[in-house]
Amino acid sequence: MSRLSGLKGLRARRPSNQSFSWGHRGRRDGGGDPTAEPVIDVRGLTKHYADIKAVDGISFEVEKGQMFSLLGPNGAGKTTTVEILEGLRDPTSGEARVLGVDVRKGYGKIRNRVGVLPQDFEPFDRLKPREAVAYWAHLFDRTLTKEEVAGLIRTVGLADRADTLAMNLSGGERRRLGIAMSLVGKPKLVFLDEPTTGLDPGARRELWGLIRQLKSEGTTILLTTHYLDEAEQLADDVAIMNHGKIVARGSPADLIAKHGQGHSIVLAGAGEDGLSAVRARGVVAELQGADVVVQVPLASDMRRMLEKLASIDTPLNEIYTRRASLEDVFLNLVGARMQEGVLAA
Amino acid sequence: MNRVLADMKAFGTQYIRSRVGTFFALVFPILLILLFGAIFGSSGSSQVTLYVQDQDNQPASHAFTDALNKTNVLTIRAIPPSADFSQYIRDHSINVALQIPPGFQDALAKAENGTRATVNLTLAGDQTQSSYGIAVSAVDAVATAFNLQVAKAAPVVNILPTSVPGLRHLTYIDLFLPGIIGFTILSTPLFGMTAICAEYRSRRYFKLLATTKLSKAQWLAAKVVFHIVLLFVSVALMVLTGILVFGLKAVVTPMAILIIIAGTIEFTSLGMVLGIFVRDPETGAAIANAIGFPMMFLAGSFFPVDAMPSFLQAGARLLPLTYINEGLRATMTFGTDATAFIDLLVTLGFAVVFFVVAARGLSWKSR
Repeated sequence: MSRLSGLKGLRARRPSNQSFSWGHRGRRDGGGDPTAEPVIDVRGLTKHYADIKAVDGISFEVEKGQMFSLLGPNGAGKTTTVEILEGLRDPTSGEARVLGVDVRKGYGKIRNRVGVLPQDFEPFDRLKPREAVAYWAHLFDRTLTKEEVAGLIRTVGLADRADTLAMNLSGGERRRLGIAMSLVGKPKLVFLDEPTTGLDPGARRELWGLIRQLKSEGTTILLTTHYLDEAEQLADDVAIMNHGKIVARGSPADLIAKHGQGHSIVLAGAGEDGLSAVRARGVVAELQGADVVVQVPLASDMRRMLEKLASIDTPLNEIYTRRASLEDVFLNLVGARMQEGVLAA
Repeated sequence: MNRVLADMKAFGTQYIRSRVGTFFALVFPILLILLFGAIFGSSGSSQVTLYVQDQDNQPASHAFTDALNKTNVLTIRAIPPSADFSQYIRDHSINVALQIPPGFQDALAKAENGTRATVNLTLAGDQTQSSYGIAVSAVDAVATAFNLQVAKAAPVVNILPTSVPGLRHLTYIDLFLPGIIGFTILSTPLFGMTAICAEYRSRRYFKLLATTKLSKAQWLAAKVVFHIVLLFVSVALMVLTGILVFGLKAVVTPMAILIIIAGTIEFTSLGMVLGIFVRDPETGAAIANAIGFPMMFLAGSFFPVDAMPSFLQAGARLLPLTYINEGLRATMTFGTDATAFIDLLVTLGFAVVFFVVAARGLSWKSR
């Protein structure tokens, strides 16, 4: 049974034009509908401060029902871009349209169709989730019944904590409360700005589950993250940002195929001796730390290469094969490496 | 309207749960009233104790001391005629003391016979103390009466002590309580709003609110309405304490209610104007204290503006709180609504200016 059942149940009780759906029932597999107007349309967008080009002429579109991820290291310009699209900052130049309106002028018309979970979201300490959700709905001119509030809280998995002061919630629970608050206006578009930053792995995975359900309801989502696995797991479409520019764009699989380096074989702990032994067999390899890494661009060459390396008798910890990931794409495009799971510029 | 009410309800819930805010808004003013009422409210304290050394010790000097005693503003205590006057004052930490020199009666007798004569009384004390001023006035009045009598002159100007019909019999608390209401109108919204703006900025609540349909003016209006309700509760508690404990005669008139409302709008908005410049809670508290505390003391919350030196009185005219204190005293204590109406208009003027500056100046958007 879906967690969304609480909301689905409400739909039956309300007139159809007020149904508590998170949006249209759009495509479930990303990609968007090419004939429809894009939900987000950005062209030549810039945001300059005195000496910094925070956003430097970026363009992209997000289609209905898509989960689009802006991926990049800290300071890449992700949050600035998102805050322009949320109507919280004015761009220096370029065009940004959200749900068909210019973000500079028309935001009043679409405010209650856009949900926002800001970066480093903090709830109001002395309100309980039940109160916070009801309060937030009023700020979008909606009055939720007790059942609707309870349904929304159940949706984000906070039913047990509905009457706990927010100051006593865990980090993950606070973010889930933030997502519940972002959904009170029944938005067609939700901005999630680094929703899992600072959470422990368990809480991150739970939140991913919630975000997937949100998408499965047809809501268009713009997700910013500096976690590669998050973008790889969740996004239909990824734009990699660095120094205010988009340096690559496509689905995670496309990006890996295009900018990754296929597969590789890792001789873990083989060291300098291992490298010499591999090179003695005429194989191109490089040393990454204590590991010897052999690139295998074509998957079909994998078996032959493994056989070639199997006879090496240098001491090592293990041999494994690795498929290229977004991390490799990053290494190639941005020169960024992972540090403790986070991209470093 | 719905948004304003919802925001007010959520804000009020958090405010009451914070306890510290509730203490300073509701309990602290009561403590002030009890404390100041106990210190200054007792009847004996309005009399100044005057120590008299009668070195003449003749019927005339006794008559002079008796006359001083009958002024009702002085309590007379004696210094032994043989004691060293200055030394005695120092040893006994005396505030004001009068010395009647030998030859007091002789001088009077000579003057009565037409011979030119003077006698100098010494009034020693700390001239910065208000008790000294009271003693000087009383001694001067008695001396003048003696002079007139000796000169066989009949007084031309007389004072007839008469009670004014309709004027309430006032005590210290009747003058003090309106000042404490003024103090609360300043402190509760001003300190509260500055702290709230700092918290909302540092915790990014402003940015969060900017993603809703609530406007800045609506947010401010919700805070204003909440503080008005809070102030009404606070004033009700204060007046109740005043009546039950000190027999308060001052009354909360409709004009007083209007001044309380206008004053609350004024200081809630001023708190938000300060909030424009505040980036973190520590700076917020510092700025609010720097503006709030001098105003509390200079604007006549704890003593009337008239009791201050003239250059401070001129300064007090520039402070918004002065008009609230004076307006509340005028309507609540003296029942002069016409005077209070001017104060109300000035307060409303400040309120409108602060509200507009706050609603325009505070930015929710990032740059």
